[in-house]
Amino acid sequence: MEFDRVEVKGLVKVYGATRALIGVDATFDAGAVTVIEGPNGSGKSTLLNILGQLVRPTRGEVRYGELGVVNKGAVRGAIGILAHAAMVYPDLSARENLALYARLYGLRDPAAVLERSIARFEIGRWGERPSRTYSRGQLQRLALARALIHEPTLLLLDEPSTGLDVKGVRRLVETVAAERERGAIVALITHDPKLADELADTTVKLKRGKVVS
Amino acid sequence: MKELLRGTWVIAAKELKIELRTKEILVTAGLFGLLVTVLTSLAFFLDDDTSRRLAPGVLWVGASFAGVLAMGRAWAREREADAIRGLLLTPIPRASIYLGKMIGTWVFVMLIDMVLLPVVAILFRVDMSAELGTVALILVLGMTGYVALGTLFAAMSVRTRARDLMISVVLFPLSSPGLLAGVVATREVLGGTPFDETVAWLRILLAFDLVGIVAGLVLFEPLMSE
Repeated sequence: MEFDRVEVKGLVKVYGATRALIGVDATFDAGAVTVIEGPNGSGKSTLLNILGQLVRPTRGEVRYGELGVVNKGAVRGAIGILAHAAMVYPDLSARENLALYARLYGLRDPAAVLERSIARFEIGRWGERPSRTYSRGQLQRLALARALIHEPTLLLLDEPSTGLDVKGVRRLVETVAAERERGAIVALITHDPKLADELADTTVKLKRGKVVS
Repeated sequence: MKELLRGTWVIAAKELKIELRTKEILVTAGLFGLLVTVLTSLAFFLDDDTSRRLAPGVLWVGASFAGVLAMGRAWAREREADAIRGLLLTPIPRASIYLGKMIGTWVFVMLIDMVLLPVVAILFRVDMSAELGTVALILVLGMTGYVALGTLFAAMSVRTRARDLMISVVLFPLSSPGLLAGVVATREVLGGTPFDETVAWLRILLAFDLVGIVAGLVLFEPLMSE
């Protein structure tokens, strides 16, 4: 693991006249799932995007363990993200998408990693078809495989259960639990109280951009 | 530098692979460019001399309009399924995403332009056989800077609602030095001006390319981070 803790201190994010985050402090530890709760517009996704280096904070800092406050490929390479959108190319097959990400992450022996990933998420013959033809469940398996292909240290989950059936949610829970066992730092946004209860080790509650508990 | 080149190659190869499979950009932007040249040739056909004078302008109008369409479509792929978010999280230098997309789009635009060139020559009855190499060189130089700037603004369109409107409204004024130099250089070459006398225009186009590429490399990362 590249780092064992992520700390955010005094995080402020302002979009024009809107203050999305106002002085947020939080800690995310290895081997634990931290659920980020709050109503719509409370700043959950902004916080997750800042953790993932997709959004720059207006003020404050994010420390990635021993790596400190950095914005480099080394940190990005240790982050995996899973959201409602699969973040794959619909004209490429599951196999081609995963091979692309294996190359982008510069993995050693990408062919072996690809086969392991395909076996882990039970991507069968359907994985040869373009991903725009997949069902929601198949797309979720591909999205999970993509997010985890490089065994990320920090796993960010942004409402990943949206639109999934019971079986899909079960697979998601099992995968997140396995990642926690592996020692990953997991940050999860969900509006599903059952999912939160099942997975949460700690909780960060946000309201109007502030941590309330 | 090694990581920049590796990332650029992976992204460019992905662009070409998707396009080889779908042919979406080549067909839509190519047909649009052809439509512009054919309609213009019908609208402005007067006599051989007038046609020859119009040909450089029509060639560049067709090429630049098809180019805008190609750049917009290339980035629409990144919006679909939010693929750009996954791409931005990978450890490759973000400049390599820009360069890879630019190279991919440049290839598509060049392929379209290499079809437009003989079509314009036929429709406007211009014998380009002696100047074909020079005209192609001018087109390559002009379109390189145009695609470099266009890729940057098309990337911004991923994060804005105005999208295609913004590409056109911002890109055409900023590309005007390159487009104007390209049209004038093509006109001079087809008008019989010796190659030596067009070198100044080629230098302007080369400077336009350098400015476009450097601007893209420097500005891409800040523009893609909110």
